Amino acid sequence: MKKLVALLLAAIMVFSVTSVFAEEQKTITMWCIATESDANRPAYEKAIAAVEDAFNVKIEWEAFENQSYKTKIKTAMSDPSTLPDIFFTWAGAFCGDFAEQGNVYCLNDAYKAYADQLPEVMMQNASYGENKDHFAVPLTMNIVVMFANMDLLAKAGWDHVPETYEDLIKCCDDLLAAGITPFGCAGSETWCVTEYLEPIIEKTIGYEALNNIFAGKATWNDPAIAGAVDAFQEMVKKGYFAADGLTLGNDQIKANFLAGQYAFYQNGSWNCGEVNDAEGNFQVALFPVMNAEKATYSQVIGGPSDSLAVAATSKDPEFAAKIAFELGKEICHYGYLAGSGLPAWTPDYDTSEVKPLVTAVADMVAAADGMVLFGDTAMSADPANIYLNFVSQVYGVEIDGAQFIEGLAAQLQ
Amino acid sequence: MKRTFSYKLSIFIFLLPALILFLGILIAPIVMSVIYSLNDFKAISGADMNFVGLKNYIELFSPQLVNEKGALYTNVNYMGDALVNSLILGFFSVFIQLPIALSIALKLSKGIRGERAYLSIFFMPVLISTVIIGRLWMNIYETNGLLNSALDALGIKNQVFSWISARITSTKMPFQGGWTGYKETALFAAFIPILWQYVGYHMLLMYAGIKGVPMDLLEAAQLDGCTEGQVNRHIVIPYIKPILKVCVIFAVTGSLKSFDLIYTLMKDTRRAELPSTLMYKLTFLNNRYGLGSAIAVVLIILCFAFAMLISLAFRDKGEKVS
Amino acid sequence: MNDQRKFKPSLILVHALLIILVVINLFPLYWMMTFSLKDNDEIFGGYLKDSEGKVILDENGEKITVERNMIGLPRTWRWNNYPRALNTGNMGRYFLNSLIVSASAIIITLIAAFMATYAMTRLVWKGRKLMNKFFMLGLTIPIHAALVPVFMILSRMKLLDTYVALIIPYAAFSLSMGILISIGFMGDIPYDLDEAAFLDGCGVWGIFFRVIVPLMMPATATVGIYAFLQCWNELLFATIFVSKGMYMTLPVGVQQLFGQYTTDWGPIGAALAIATIPTMIVYALLSKRIQAGFIAGAVKG
Repeated sequence: MKKLVALLLAAIMVFSVTSVFAEEQKTITMWCIATESDANRPAYEKAIAAVEDAFNVKIEWEAFENQSYKTKIKTAMSDPSTLPDIFFTWAGAFCGDFAEQGNVYCLNDAYKAYADQLPEVMMQNASYGENKDHFAVPLTMNIVVMFANMDLLAKAGWDHVPETYEDLIKCCDDLLAAGITPFGCAGSETWCVTEYLEPIIEKTIGYEALNNIFAGKATWNDPAIAGAVDAFQEMVKKGYFAADGLTLGNDQIKANFLAGQYAFYQNGSWNCGEVNDAEGNFQVALFPVMNAEKATYSQVIGGPSDSLAVAATSKDPEFAAKIAFELGKEICHYGYLAGSGLPAWTPDYDTSEVKPLVTAVADMVAAADGMVLFGDTAMSADPANIYLNFVSQVYGVEIDGAQFIEGLAAQLQ
Repeated sequence: MKRTFSYKLSIFIFLLPALILFLGILIAPIVMSVIYSLNDFKAISGADMNFVGLKNYIELFSPQLVNEKGALYTNVNYMGDALVNSLILGFFSVFIQLPIALSIALKLSKGIRGERAYLSIFFMPVLISTVIIGRLWMNIYETNGLLNSALDALGIKNQVFSWISARITSTKMPFQGGWTGYKETALFAAFIPILWQYVGYHMLLMYAGIKGVPMDLLEAAQLDGCTEGQVNRHIVIPYIKPILKVCVIFAVTGSLKSFDLIYTLMKDTRRAELPSTLMYKLTFLNNRYGLGSAIAVVLIILCFAFAMLISLAFRDKGEKVS
Repeated sequence: MNDQRKFKPSLILVHALLIILVVINLFPLYWMMTFSLKDNDEIFGGYLKDSEGKVILDENGEKITVERNMIGLPRTWRWNNYPRALNTGNMGRYFLNSLIVSASAIIITLIAAFMATYAMTRLVWKGRKLMNKFFMLGLTIPIHAALVPVFMILSRMKLLDTYVALIIPYAAFSLSMGILISIGFMGDIPYDLDEAAFLDGCGVWGIFFRVIVPLMMPATATVGIYAFLQCWNELLFATIFVSKGMYMTLPVGVQQLFGQYTTDWGPIGAALAIATIPTMIVYALLSKRIQAGFIAGAVKG
């Protein structure tokens, strides 16, 4: 055994002698998920150029594919010295876990300089602890909306997006009769299924009840939720959802919707710019109310989530925090104009160029009665993924509503 | 030679590079995994580690768990299904892939015309990156991809779909062409590319073994009037048993270890879950580092146990040829 | 053999079966090449478009329908899919990185394996058999099981985001196979040579460098091939241990490219082809030697 230890020590010594130490540069490093296919890419490029000019700083940034980024950032947390100065994070429990580990620099002081441009309510999803300390700079905010292809609706004899559940069902039947698939939903990416299921549940039990469940303050074991899940599955069984949805990814489903294959596509409002610019006549709406006693039409799912955080290990965290706020402001600015999100920051620029669909969603947010953050963002990693596992089984009609609530209630308490 | 101090030092220095690599990158991680697997923690640095004994292993192997209120519920982290899937994959590999590889190898080694060209073509997929194969087969399996188009062109699409629908029990939805979207078809869909890629690998190994069978043995058998089948059964196959053993070990441990293909072929691996994909999920999506490490330890033990078992099975029957 | 005539009728059947297998083997690759030169409208049916994706109208201002052409040769050869795939990532760089990483890992594997094999087979000491069995443990360890611990070790040594972060683990995971093969090859070198060299005044080092290493040259190809298969395709370590674009390897680069053209089959096909073709060319040139090396591994190991 001693020999083994000696060998290990020898091994470590040999490695550390040969290792290459990168020279520290006076620059800010950043990781994000704005790959070249990301709707936000142009906003990042413009924002980085603007901030580099204004603050005489070199921002070295790398963009990673969404799914592998989650693995990457979590692994990097095991050795905070490997973190860049600024990193992209989702608000809610995702960032909360990192903050709890002490790897995120607290932004309370840096925020003061921006308080008049960034309402404190926008910081809340990434504020933790008793004092609600702020840990991340929001970029844009988004809600779930139902995009509708009005040309296809017209073919089925509808000149408006149905506003009640009964109308929606009738509309879907008319669409099917006209040979048009009502909905597209990417079953291979479970978060896309939640974009359908969460609004349906919210419109059944109301936003307060759903918020409490996501926060772990109330149980999943509510027959009303089972009813909502059954209603969703009823729509699936009736063939309202594209048959190939089970195995397709979101990019493919979105492309199909934009190409006029489905009448509706319910997803995040970050798609507004893309839908707005596509050929055809599109509108945005919200999912109709399922139970008028508990919910209203104006209750939405969403909130500020995409954020930038500063690593606690940053060499110059004060400066990095300043740059993070400036970047957040600029990315929000260009993202809003491009239609890849609504502003978390109060606009101080000309907004007359904002796309009509984006304006429509902005009005919905302004009129919102209540808001529930996306379930997989609100919950911490383990419960969130158990929840996603169940949601995925719902879309595949592998379990019914009763099994959904019982399973989740038992597993997540 | 003298066993002086310098002789011993030399031995040590000769072993040093291999030992450093081996201990630093293979053995140390195993030891670390064993320690992690006995703890519960959700920060990857292990800052919040607390010792829980065998609790992680119990969780992995319990299809159902009891919560604080005493209610029984289905454990979504249950490893049993993933293990069964990987064993099915191993079974397919041993009883479908290897026989195909063996029959090709037997034919080719008889000195057939175009032997070299056949060998080269069959071995080629081995060199293609699994990431690429996964993406290519994704396009083959897509709802409007190659496979469904071919079924359509043959005019049997509807019959095949309804035949499969009648046999699907995991969901009430009919089969609509999403080959990777149903529990009943996903694993098989994953096996086909594995078969396609690795038949050549095993074929070439076996071919090499058969080429090593001494000519006089074969000629003697043929003079005795043995048919080709008899020669294969009584002389060639017993002779190449050591290589067959290696192939079986690779096929089984390879199935237990396989990850890249399923990971690239399916965005949601739940319907063809393997121990390695479950480990990846629990570790990097659920932040259950202890539980993920427990899978790693189980995998290492299983791979080792299967390798030993297969070696034993081959040793009992065949004469030692080594 | 004079009784070959006896097998003749069945020989045609055998060839027919083999040719069917060849078609099965090559068809996915052929199909990949064809769709790498088409656009979605040609693959699935749609309207004729130019290389920028704009609909082309005929003289009457009507859209021109394109018939669905899933498996045939392209009607319009869209070569510009290739520059599109090449320009988004940095495929050349990724390729070079894969080459650097794989080659270095192979060289380290060779050095470590030859040295260890020499110590375990030519030098006499207690426990050498046990040491050999110990190294063979590595054959069964799944590479993914070591992900988190290896990350921790590399990060403690400040090796992440360097070529070394991939070279060292790849070499370690190829080592057991390397030793297994080396033992087979080294066993073929007559012990008389060692003794002759010893009588000429060579020490253990002299014997190793002057006798063993030169005679082990054929083994380099074999160990190299097995190690190459392990390193060239590895995805998970490469994703996690390296975050800078300048060190990314081909599988990671290709994976990123898929993210960028999820729905455009043409550029995806082009990316697949770009990542495959160089390997295929090398294989076409060296297939005989690669197979011979692989076969040697099977016989010696």
